[in-house]
Amino acid sequence: MSMKELVEILQTEIPEKLVDEIERVEGAPHFTIYVKVDKSRDLIKILHDNAGIYHLTTVTGLEIPDKEFRVIYHLQHRDEETEKEVPINVIITGIDINKPTSPTMSDIFVCAEYYEREIYDFYGIYFENHPFMERLILPENWPDDVRPMRKEYSWQDIKEITLSLAKKISED
Amino acid sequence: MAEIYRSRFRADPYGDKDAPPDSDYRIFIGPQHPWAEEPAHFIIHLKGERVVEADIRIGFNLRGLEKAMEARTWRQNTLLVPRACGICSAVHQNVYVRLVERLAGVENDISERARLIRMFSLEAERIHSHILWYGILAHDSGFDTLLHISWRDREIIMDIVEDISGNRVNPALMMIGGVKRDIPKEKIERTRPKIDHLIKQVEYHRKVFTEEASIRNRLENVGILTKEEAKKITPNGPTARGSGIPFDVRKSYPYELYDELDWKPIYYPEGDVLALTLVRIDETLESLYMLKQILDKLETAEGELLQRVKTKVPEGQYMTRAEAPRGEDIHFGMSNGSDKPERYKIRAPSLGNIDATLKRMDGEYIADVPVILRSYDPCFSCTNRIMIINKTTGEKKVMFQDEFAKRAIKAKKYNRSIF
Repeated sequence: MSMKELVEILQTEIPEKLVDEIERVEGAPHFTIYVKVDKSRDLIKILHDNAGIYHLTTVTGLEIPDKEFRVIYHLQHRDEETEKEVPINVIITGIDINKPTSPTMSDIFVCAEYYEREIYDFYGIYFENHPFMERLILPENWPDDVRPMRKEYSWQDIKEITLSLAKKISED
Repeated sequence: MAEIYRSRFRADPYGDKDAPPDSDYRIFIGPQHPWAEEPAHFIIHLKGERVVEADIRIGFNLRGLEKAMEARTWRQNTLLVPRACGICSAVHQNVYVRLVERLAGVENDISERARLIRMFSLEAERIHSHILWYGILAHDSGFDTLLHISWRDREIIMDIVEDISGNRVNPALMMIGGVKRDIPKEKIERTRPKIDHLIKQVEYHRKVFTEEASIRNRLENVGILTKEEAKKITPNGPTARGSGIPFDVRKSYPYELYDELDWKPIYYPEGDVLALTLVRIDETLESLYMLKQILDKLETAEGELLQRVKTKVPEGQYMTRAEAPRGEDIHFGMSNGSDKPERYKIRAPSLGNIDATLKRMDGEYIADVPVILRSYDPCFSCTNRIMIINKTTGEKKVMFQDEFAKRAIKAKKYNRSIF
């Protein structure tokens, strides 16, 4: 049902084998698409090339504890005549919790490049074929193995790490 | 210019990494620099007097807000969220409370009156933010008279915000389930003439920007970003609307009661810094007209100000968006059935706009760099003063932060009253 509505808005066929589930969020014209990590690049490519979606608002990282990582691409479908937008959240599921990798979308959306680096900083999800997978926002002397947004670190742990870093700098 | 655009944010502290081969000089601005009120490190590669490419390093102001929110309850976070930004605090709070209301299932119970008061706060914020911005833009382009004139007039809207909320910069009016304070009839009456006065002043500012040659020449045809480039690099808010991308979240994805007001989104196709300025000035005027409509509606609007909402939020996830003064603000929240969020994501508009701003600089003169860098509106707050009013005599005394702190320390030391 939701698939039909989305196809009507996008004016593009979405192959059913690519998506797990499509939800239409009640009250607002706003869609959520669930897709497995190995099919995510094909889906995003179809949305960009065929449906003409060019605006990526941001990318969110998400941890489902003891299960998996998720990455959400917040896309906007824009219609210039009516000046209306239909937000589409593409949720990439099934990213391995022990060795998290996901394909990069930085060659499709320019801005995905730095949003993906932010997630690499915070969650340690490695984006394959990314042209510049390096630290964006964490301090230079931040320990490499600490991924602050993961659930294994509590707010208190992060506070202690930050204070010890500050202490180290003041001692030097 | 390379055909395939690549994103910036690639520099190392010395600007060696990925430096363009044909540049012969580098200029470093920041991380701490008097020009920028916030810490950011710009590295500008030059060839002679022209910019070849500009790059940036960010992350000097990382406070871990998203992590901090996971350690606090939904209700406590209502007061943490506006701290995401100094000057557009109300819009972050608005996006947050709408997200929580949706997850808690009370979004349809919010009364019309509460929604109107929220919109009043949001639009007042847009006005003071835009006036602040074009004041500093005038200062950057060497026209300090306009800075003084526009900031003098900005006090009018600051007084209105202070009158309705009690605070100058962070009104903090919104609560999960409604708003904290009402705008009573006498406040509506005394706000109206102030708004009429400010409309006249902003029209005058617009006249100066469009007719005064010394400032117009500094802005016109400077830092052009075409529509095709903007579609590729995807800036948002006024930065995109100055390049002819006609999307304003208030219109394209309406929230609160924006679709009931009579207003039009502003966009200019030219793509230079003057177009950005005119977008913001016209938006200021449009917001002022909106404030008048909201005040008219508040005369008759009924409804309870605050609904009861349970502290535990049912399981779910949701995304909300709003048009902040600088562009599109997006929040994504996930709840796990307890009173604390499982995950909360904030994307403030400026991060999406930096890339486009650096692109504007390619091939421009070094003298135009401050104006272009200013164009995406880096923000700062101005909260270091309080006014003390003697209740019995009505005597007013303005006190600055240092003096206030000194008095507070003394009062604690000698265990006596602060005043």
